[in-house]
Amino acid sequence: MPMLTSEIVPGLVAGGASCRMDADVAPKFKPGDRVTTININPLGHTRLPRYVRGKTGTVARDHGVFAFPDTSVSGVHSDPQHVYSVRFEGEELWGQDANARSCLYIDMFDRYLEPA
Amino acid sequence: MNGIHDLGGMHGLGPIEREADEPYFHEEWEGRVFGLFFANFAQGHFNVDQFRHGIEKMAPAGYLQTSYYEHWLHSFETLLSEKGIISLEELDRKQAELSQAGDT
Amino acid sequence: MAHDHHNAPPSDTAMRVKALETLLTEKGLVDPAAIDTLIDLYQTKIGPRNGAKVVARAWTDPDYRARLLEDGTKAIAEFGFTGVQGEDMVVVENTEDVHNLVVCTLCSCYPWPTLGLPPIWYKSAPYRARAVSDPRGVIAEFGVDLPEDVEVRVWDSNAELRYLVLPRRPAGTDDMDEDQLAELVSRDAMIGTALVEAPAS
Repeated sequence: MPMLTSEIVPGLVAGGASCRMDADVAPKFKPGDRVTTININPLGHTRLPRYVRGKTGTVARDHGVFAFPDTSVSGVHSDPQHVYSVRFEGEELWGQDANARSCLYIDMFDRYLEPA
Repeated sequence: MNGIHDLGGMHGLGPIEREADEPYFHEEWEGRVFGLFFANFAQGHFNVDQFRHGIEKMAPAGYLQTSYYEHWLHSFETLLSEKGIISLEELDRKQAELSQAGDT
Repeated sequence: MAHDHHNAPPSDTAMRVKALETLLTEKGLVDPAAIDTLIDLYQTKIGPRNGAKVVARAWTDPDYRARLLEDGTKAIAEFGFTGVQGEDMVVVENTEDVHNLVVCTLCSCYPWPTLGLPPIWYKSAPYRARAVSDPRGVIAEFGVDLPEDVEVRVWDSNAELRYLVLPRRPAGTDDMDEDQLAELVSRDAMIGTALVEAPAS
C-alpha cells in the first residue's frame, strides 16, 4: 500500500474508516425486545465488557450492520452483524449500590445477545 | 480478554485529575506517536481492533502506570515486531545509536 | 512520568519514538512530513469549537435539531465535521428529565471530528471505571449539581458509534445569535461533565 504523505492526509482524515459493512444481514432483535448478554470470557479481543455480561436489558435502537471486532482482530473486517443500543438499568448492573435513577446505554453486537 | 483495560466498575483508582486548557500533546514525541498511528494504519500494518488488542495485552501494572501515548507505542512495537516489519533488536539498536549521537 | 524540559536530555520514551519513526522512515514506510501535517491539522482545525457550532445550530433551528437527533452522522456532516472517529455519530439530548454522560470504559473512544482529541481525564482509569458505576459521583466531582429526580444515562462507547451530548440551552440567551451561543458551549458540556451556563450579565 502506498506510504501516507501530507497530500493524502486531509482526505484520509475527512473520509475516515467506518466499520459499517454493506451486508444484507437480518437482525435477530428489534427495539423493545428484552435481551440478555451472553457470559463469555474469551482470551482474545472482545468489546463486551465484564460488567455487562449475563445482564438483561432492552433494545433501544438498531444502529445497522458493522464488522464484528472479536473476529476483525484477525486482520480483516468480518462477520457483519447488527449492533444495537441496549439499555440496562443501574440496579441490573450494580445491585443495591447503583445510583438512583441511573442507567447505561451500550452497543451490543448481535452475537453478544440472547432473547431474555 | 479479561484484561486490565476492562475497567468499568473498578474501585480504588483514585480521584479524576484534571488539567485546565491542556494541549493535545504534552511532549513532542506524543504528537509523533499520534501521527505514526495513521501512517501504520494507512499502510495496512494493523487495523483498529488489532491496535486496541495490542494495548489490552500490556502487563496490568505497566498499563496503569504509563501514559496514554506510551500505550500506543507499546502496541506499535508489539504489532510491528509480530508482523516482522521491524525487530525489537533493531529498534533497541537504533535507540542506542540516537542516544549516543546526543540527538535531541 | 517526567516531562521534558528544554535543557533536559530527551526521555527514554522520546528517544524510543524517534528511533521507531527513524527506522520506519529508513525502510520507506513512513513519511515524517505526513506526521507533521497530521499534528498541525488536529491542533489547528479539529477541536470542540466544531461541536459547539453543531449545538448552537440545534438550539436555534428546530428542524436541524430533529435531524441531528435522528441521524447524527448526516446532520453533523452538513458542517463538514466528518471522518476519523466520527464516521458513525449519535447525538443524545439533555432535557429537564434526562442527563447524559459519555465514556469509553475499554479504551478512549471519543468523537474526534466534533470534540477534537480527548483530555487525559477522559482516558484515565478513574473516569473509565466510575462513570458507569457512579455517574452521579463523577458529575458531582466535576462540580455539576444534578437533581436526584433527573435520570442519568451513561453511554459506554464500546463499539464504533461515537456519542455527542446536546446540552440544554441556558435561560437568558434568547437575544444571542448562533456564534454567541457557540461560545458558551464547553467541551465538557458535550461529554456530560458540565452544563452550559449563561454568561453573567
